[in-house]
Amino acid sequence: MIRQFFILSSKGDPLLFKDFRGEAGDDVVNVFYRRVTALPGDQPPVVMALRDLHFLHVRQAGLYWVATTTADASPFTVIEFLNRLAALVKDYCGGLSEKSVQMNFALIYELLDEVLDYGYIQTTSSDMLRNFLQSEAVSSRPFSLFDLSNVGLFGADTQQSKVAPSSAAARPIQAGREQGGRSEIFVDVVERMSVVVGSNGVLMKADVEGEIRVKCFMPSCSEIRIGLNEELSIGKSQLRGYGAAVRVDRCSFHQGVRLDEFDSHRILRLCPSQGEQTVMQYQLTDDLPTAPPFRLFPTVERDGTGRLILFLKLRCDLPPKSSAVNVCASVPVPKGAVSLSQELSSPDQSAELQLQNRAVAWQIPRLAGGTQLSALFKLDVPGLSSASMLEVGPVGLSFELPKFTATGLQIRFLRLSPVQPAPSQRWVRYVTHSDSYSIRI
Amino acid sequence: MTVGKDVSALFPDVVNCMQTDNLELKKLVYLYLMNYAKSQPDMAIMAVNTFVKDCEDPNPLIRALAVRTMGCIRVDKITEYLCEPLRKCLKDEDPYVRKTAAVCVAKLHDINAQLVEDQGFLDTLKDLISDSNPMVVANAVAALSEIAESHPNSNLLDLNPQTINKLLTALNECTEWGQIFILDCLANYTPRDDRESQSICERVTPRLSHANSAVVLSAVKVLMKFMEMLPKDLDYYGTLLKKLAPPLVTLLSAEPELQYVALRNINLIVQRRPEIMKHEMKVFFVKYNDPIYVKLEKLDIMIRLASQANIAQVLAELKEYATEVDVDFVRKAVRAIGRCAIKVEQSAERCVSTLLDLIQTKVNYVVQEAIVVIKDIFRKYPNKYESVIATLCENLDSLDEPEARAAMIWIVGEYAERIDNADELLESFLEGFHDESTQVQLQLLTAIVKLFLKKPTETQELVQQVLSLATQDSDNPDLRDRGYIYWRLLSTDPVAAKEVVLAEKPLISEETDLIEPTLLEELICHIGTLASVYHKPPSAFVEGSRGVQHKRLPGSAGSGESADSPETTSTAGVSDAPPAVIPSQGDLLGDLLNLDLTPTTAGPPPPAPSSGMQLGGMDLLGGGLDSLLGGDLGGTPAIGAGFGAAPAAVPASFSAPVSGGLDDLFDLGGGVGMPMGAYSPPKSVWLQAMKAKGLEISGTFARRAGVIQMEMTLTNKAMSVMTDFAIQFNRNSFGLSPAGPLQVLTPLSPNQSIEVALPLNNSGPVMKMDPLNNLQVAVKNNIDVFYFSCQYPISMLFVEDGKMERQIFLATWKDIPNDNESQFQIKDCHLSSDAASNKLQGSNIFTIAKRTVDGQDMLYQSMKLSNGIWVLAELRIQAGNPNYTVSLKCRAAEVSQCVFQSYEAVLKN
Repeated sequence: MIRQFFILSSKGDPLLFKDFRGEAGDDVVNVFYRRVTALPGDQPPVVMALRDLHFLHVRQAGLYWVATTTADASPFTVIEFLNRLAALVKDYCGGLSEKSVQMNFALIYELLDEVLDYGYIQTTSSDMLRNFLQSEAVSSRPFSLFDLSNVGLFGADTQQSKVAPSSAAARPIQAGREQGGRSEIFVDVVERMSVVVGSNGVLMKADVEGEIRVKCFMPSCSEIRIGLNEELSIGKSQLRGYGAAVRVDRCSFHQGVRLDEFDSHRILRLCPSQGEQTVMQYQLTDDLPTAPPFRLFPTVERDGTGRLILFLKLRCDLPPKSSAVNVCASVPVPKGAVSLSQELSSPDQSAELQLQNRAVAWQIPRLAGGTQLSALFKLDVPGLSSASMLEVGPVGLSFELPKFTATGLQIRFLRLSPVQPAPSQRWVRYVTHSDSYSIRI
Repeated sequence: MTVGKDVSALFPDVVNCMQTDNLELKKLVYLYLMNYAKSQPDMAIMAVNTFVKDCEDPNPLIRALAVRTMGCIRVDKITEYLCEPLRKCLKDEDPYVRKTAAVCVAKLHDINAQLVEDQGFLDTLKDLISDSNPMVVANAVAALSEIAESHPNSNLLDLNPQTINKLLTALNECTEWGQIFILDCLANYTPRDDRESQSICERVTPRLSHANSAVVLSAVKVLMKFMEMLPKDLDYYGTLLKKLAPPLVTLLSAEPELQYVALRNINLIVQRRPEIMKHEMKVFFVKYNDPIYVKLEKLDIMIRLASQANIAQVLAELKEYATEVDVDFVRKAVRAIGRCAIKVEQSAERCVSTLLDLIQTKVNYVVQEAIVVIKDIFRKYPNKYESVIATLCENLDSLDEPEARAAMIWIVGEYAERIDNADELLESFLEGFHDESTQVQLQLLTAIVKLFLKKPTETQELVQQVLSLATQDSDNPDLRDRGYIYWRLLSTDPVAAKEVVLAEKPLISEETDLIEPTLLEELICHIGTLASVYHKPPSAFVEGSRGVQHKRLPGSAGSGESADSPETTSTAGVSDAPPAVIPSQGDLLGDLLNLDLTPTTAGPPPPAPSSGMQLGGMDLLGGGLDSLLGGDLGGTPAIGAGFGAAPAAVPASFSAPVSGGLDDLFDLGGGVGMPMGAYSPPKSVWLQAMKAKGLEISGTFARRAGVIQMEMTLTNKAMSVMTDFAIQFNRNSFGLSPAGPLQVLTPLSPNQSIEVALPLNNSGPVMKMDPLNNLQVAVKNNIDVFYFSCQYPISMLFVEDGKMERQIFLATWKDIPNDNESQFQIKDCHLSSDAASNKLQGSNIFTIAKRTVDGQDMLYQSMKLSNGIWVLAELRIQAGNPNYTVSLKCRAAEVSQCVFQSYEAVLKN
């Protein structure tokens, strides 16, 4: 199984090194760093072989998490494990960074000792690990004004304090034990959307991949019940409720989830371990309950002087209450394009010509549902031919839709038992990201 | 220490801290010990006492910690002190300690294997498989698997239905990582029958919906392997196929790294069982932000899944991809369109028009790729799409890559007669002949020679020019040789040159990029491992010393035995099988006797009384010989003019009773290495004199000019004259029966031998024998009736028209379920592939196609049995390796074993 494990900083400094079989060469770390940085772009970085040593690595938080193996091990196991380990370290140290790894090296070694024995993965469940670990996390939280902004005048709750700052979940899971930190639970529904819209405006492909993540800081909590939409149906054949049901094609659950009430009431029961875990993953293919969130009406022309005119109308079809943020449309343009002039409909938008990508990037910080924006780009392309017009497109969109799920999946309720004595905070968050949203021209 | 600074000088001080009660400190001390014990072995002994003490600590955490650390101190000297504490910990009441101790056995085994065996830890470890705690079971399985790997022959992990049951029970309860160990271990088990296989599959299936992709893949591996055992018509088989698709699709929603690994695996699965993913084409459409390595892998799978049903969708996608930004990806996409055209015939037209559209874009690399693939399309569908040539010629100037130039030149040469200005085009290439790459030069040479043969009048000058360029001004030996060959051909015999150069080319097929079936089988056994990512067998990248076993898929119930033990069967050739005299009891004997006593049954001619028999025999001999002679001379074109003696010998052997010498001559000729003529094994004794009252029969089978002959030598070792010979066969697998009576014309006096050739036909009654090629014979003479059995080489039954059309072969190969495939090794055969092919052809095993991959020649062969059963074969010959591999596919899988024996016999003689 795993022979050596090490964490490298992005600059290649070893932060942590553990050899399970006592056979490591001295230069393994350097060899790895040289190989991974010299890798050409089209080569898969996943597995790299050096004679009979195989490196598998993932990058998390800018760090290289590397495992080596000599036998015919399962790359799935190793990669999945590295991801889990990174998540564990994040849970225990309260965040992932070069600094936090350095500060908590003793804790991480302790963790590694329990997680891997002689290269065999033992457990990655934070519940079990909690019994074995002794070290305390040293957290390195920088002073931030955001922390202050939560506190209202004279300590009163402000409107803002009802929304947890995005950094709220970033803290070590053990801190709660002694410092009596707030008991909190975060349930995130995160969806990623990939959509392909054909040049005639027809939806060619629409996939949603979603997951429900629970991050728990409640030492005394023995069971939570997460209620999903009751009309949620799974698979193509099954239909619940009337008409516009919320539907997913496939779903899989964390092995700790008990599903006794899932079939009847769509309730997930689980005993959360401290820290973060993905409770449910699901996919929906092709059959979105609503129209895709964006439509694009492009016009591509050549004007008399040999310039390429791009007129784009981008319409957001979200419900009026929702809005999309950080929208960026990237329009590939013919190679040889030298300059761009633009007319945008509002000043907060921006656009630039990225020569190395051969694309125009149009940034829109916020786009409310039911509205429409337009942009006019004029590109100087020396030697523009009719063939190079074909190089325009497809347009790729990236965006974030807060408080919105593409499948319509909602958390109906979140119950904790036993009933928490101390005031506990329960947070439910929804977000949909673009995974790959492309519109062909 | 952890960042690489050497702090070993502090060793004594640190060891002093070891006895602390502070667990946190203790852990750090142990960490230090693990790092430095090896460099300070003497000092490490100081720590032993503490270890032993800690192993008895009331706190299980400390006990486990001590056991764990102990194993990591890789100092030989202290290992023996550790045995006692380890033994105790293996029996500890706390599962946490037990599971740590289980791994410790593996650690100790790595340091000192002998010690572990002597101390009996392996048995304790085996007991732990039945432990109540699933974590302990998982670790014990992992440790045993690793130890077993270094002893490939030991029977450490003795998998039997009971242990499997225990493992399956533990599977439901242990952690996800433990599940992986157990599933990987299960994959090494070969179930006894399809029922067991199904029940294991049923219990493994729930793992498919696990959130951990490693668990899912390990489960897929087990299912893919055990599915081989299930009969295809089983309902459960279909259900299982359906269940496999969703988890595989789910894997594609992971991070790009996992996606890549998953795609490499799906690529294997799709090649083995395309039906699993056939409805999931859409998930393989690339996303614009996929990393390039994921995109390329998806593209490859898309082509593999392309079929008539979804080709429109696929083409539309590919066309989109061809206009993307990434050059590498665009090239691959264009190639993919070409592959679609070749794979799905109905789509060829659409593919060509798509390619033409792409050529219109005038994007340089797109045009070049398109031309390269159009060349392939021309190879596949000759004379169908030449209307596009004009468009191609327009783009001649923009081609700057050798491959594209070579492709274009090939097209011009091939269709020279339809391109008006072909000579001008080629001439324009000729100007810079020396600056071209070898590929282009060779192609240009061939193209101009083709052009000359098609339009000799106008192009004489051109061809002379190119020949002199190639032969006189070039340093490249390949080019020079080819130039000279053309030159000689053209100068000696232009007609022959035409036949050679303009010969009809074999069609190309789309299957060229498939992984070899045997490699694929091995890789399927390694799904979810590094082997499946590299697409190489583990032996290719895991260090050799660790006995790596080649894994094979289990065969289906029917052909299981023959596929499982190729080694043992390969040694037992046909000729080695001792002719068994049938024991005097048994039902079969009764059959024979019945046949003998009721001479009027339909099939074989009854043994006539001896006087009449002689007359009839004369008639038969006369008529039969004439017709056979005629048929023979017209019907064996394989015997070339150069071997004039051979055809003369063939008919001579028919009159075997009087011309044993000539027969020998023929055999001699065969032995010298004459490639023609069916192989016939040397004669062996079928009936021993002492068991047959002095009659000894030795014999063999041969196929002479399409007639199966049973050639026997009858020797009278008794004291009295033998007369009145007659012969009778029992019912047998292929309905062989004598075509005429036994031709023994004169009484056989003592110590006299006589050669008899008995023509056979296959119109007799059929009954399946075991072995299949067993033939039970009764011979009667004036003394008694004798019974014996012999085995005929099945190659006798291969008929002359056993050559299949290439297309039919391909279709049939795919059509025959993989379960019917069996594979054998032929050892120590030193023939080249051509010699082997010739030899086999002599026995009516016809080579249909040959291709060479990585120095390995692959011959695709077909043969047809006299009862109409087709057998397809793939013979693989690695240059320099005397071991050949034969894969046989046949709808009647039972014949494979016999066919293989014939292969071996033919090739080795």
